[in-house]
Amino acid sequence: MSQDAAHAGLGARAVHAFFPDAGGVPIRALHDVSARFLPGQLTAIVGPSGSGKSTLLHALAGIVVPQQGEIVFGQTVVSSLGERQRDAWRLAHCGMVFQDFRLIDELDALANTLLPAQFQRARLPAVLRERARELLALFDVPLRAGPVARLSRGEQQRVALARALLLDPPVILADEPTASLDPDNGQRIADELRAMAQAGKTVVTVTHDDKLVALAGQVLRMKSGQVMSPSPHTAAATLSA
Amino acid sequence: MNPLPALRAALTRYRFSALAFVLLVAAGVTLSVAIVSQERALRSGSARAADRFDMIVAPPGSRTDALMTGVFLRPGSGQLLSPALTAALLNDGRAGFVSPLAFGDSYRGAPVVGVTAALVEHLSGGLAEGRLFAARHEAVVGAASSLKVGDTFHPAHGVHHGGEEHGGKDDLNAHEASLSVVGRMKATGSPWDKAITVPVEMVWSLHELPAGHAPGSAQLGAPFDAAHTPGIPAAVVHTGNLASAYKLRSAYNSKESMAFFPAEALVQLYAVLGDMRQLMSLLALVTQALVLLSIIASVFILFRLLMPQFVTLRALGAPRRYVFAVAWGFTALLVGLGVLLGLAGGYVLSFAISSWLAHLTGVALQPTLGEAEWLMALAILLVGLVLASLPAWHMQRVPLAAAMKEY
Repeated sequence: MSQDAAHAGLGARAVHAFFPDAGGVPIRALHDVSARFLPGQLTAIVGPSGSGKSTLLHALAGIVVPQQGEIVFGQTVVSSLGERQRDAWRLAHCGMVFQDFRLIDELDALANTLLPAQFQRARLPAVLRERARELLALFDVPLRAGPVARLSRGEQQRVALARALLLDPPVILADEPTASLDPDNGQRIADELRAMAQAGKTVVTVTHDDKLVALAGQVLRMKSGQVMSPSPHTAAATLSA
Repeated sequence: MNPLPALRAALTRYRFSALAFVLLVAAGVTLSVAIVSQERALRSGSARAADRFDMIVAPPGSRTDALMTGVFLRPGSGQLLSPALTAALLNDGRAGFVSPLAFGDSYRGAPVVGVTAALVEHLSGGLAEGRLFAARHEAVVGAASSLKVGDTFHPAHGVHHGGEEHGGKDDLNAHEASLSVVGRMKATGSPWDKAITVPVEMVWSLHELPAGHAPGSAQLGAPFDAAHTPGIPAAVVHTGNLASAYKLRSAYNSKESMAFFPAEALVQLYAVLGDMRQLMSLLALVTQALVLLSIIASVFILFRLLMPQFVTLRALGAPRRYVFAVAWGFTALLVGLGVLLGLAGGYVLSFAISSWLAHLTGVALQPTLGEAEWLMALAILLVGLVLASLPAWHMQRVPLAAAMKEY
């Protein structure tokens, strides 16, 4: 666990976000959303489609900048950073996992895992390559299987997990990580996310998967851009506690 | 940062489109380079071929025709200098030597040219093999002739026409005269390399003309007897120095004849060649510009297909400049490869055209990639690299939040 994560939680403070519709009329995506996401905590954001779950996740990642309110990480107000700083912050602090994996099909598992490290380094240190190999081994992904498109869907999502963990970010943000997987692979990914939280990371996932919700220490139920219910188990929010 | 993995992935995904783009650029550059290179090769080849011809005297008319007759062995108009003027010219003591040129025969497609031994010696700069002809039935062949020293042959009547073979024992047009090859010239890089040179007296006598000397005389070369000298289509004059060259040029520019330095006619030809090159280069460059623009437009479309990959990179934390580097690198690599391939293709095409023209005309052409071609390729490359920034700029400007929803 990084030093930041030991001291920082990720939080949304009275966040409002709007998107223009096709006619340019602003549509409310988030309305007065406040929430805390603590290190060692797995948070599941649930709710019907269009309720603002993914928008909140993207706001937490610094992708969406709220029109009002703040996204904070420790002492850093992420939403006040310029785009370049938010990119750098996301790269250093957030591991991103997506429903459809978003791997580069033509690259192999190792190259996909190493991709985030290429954004700022011309040459990768050997230690990073070794870490990527270790992560892939940890997730039982074959190293010499050629392009990732040849891997099974479960293996592809585990490559995405390895990619998210490569730079050891304190925060893992996962958008429907089990939605396109069969039950067994879905369970495995859910277990891995829980294990990451147990290892001290702040894990936030948007999901419709009951198994994943059942593992969460905090559940945010959203509707129409608002958090409708406080977590039913906020008291037990910190799994590692 | 290292955009290569993402760049490699994009190129792999759209490898056939990428290959098509590279070939399109290469085709445009090939044409441009070949045009410029070939035009220069033609200039230098023709200048080299004409280098040893100090001055040409021919009947009044086109200098280009006379140049083609004297230097490139392609007799044209059929007009002749008058016998009196011919005799005066051939015996003019102010010249180093004056050699008549007499055509009319050939052997297996190679022209048989009646000249003086002095011209053969001068053109060749010393023989490669054997000796100069010393009798009417002797011949000296060009460096590329199929005849060998010691061979005998029967020249046939008729002016050679590109590759048409006649002459030889089974040719009804063949003269009865049998000529022996006694020497071989060094390579001159001109049509003379394929020619067969014989004493001019032999050509005249084969055509039942006065042979330049009193009947029964076996003499070769100057002095020629004015009473027995026929007209000729052209003469090559070797001048000792510049002053005498201009004096002779002035002396033989009259109503009856024209005298000129080959360079004068070549300059006129080069002007035409240069104009053609400019026009063709312009067309090639316009084509190249259109190719580049269409490629850039296609890359815009291709990048829309690659948008999910670019959005992923940004979502993972890649800065805009990383996306720009990948997108720019994609197009730049295609343009760069196309230009390099085009340079090589241009040289190969120019080489092929030169070989074909050399075979056709006998003029040795040596194509090279000169400064102009490199600069042109560099200019195309630079324009391509600048244009490549347009789709790259567009890609890195895509708002991430909206793109995440759409892709």
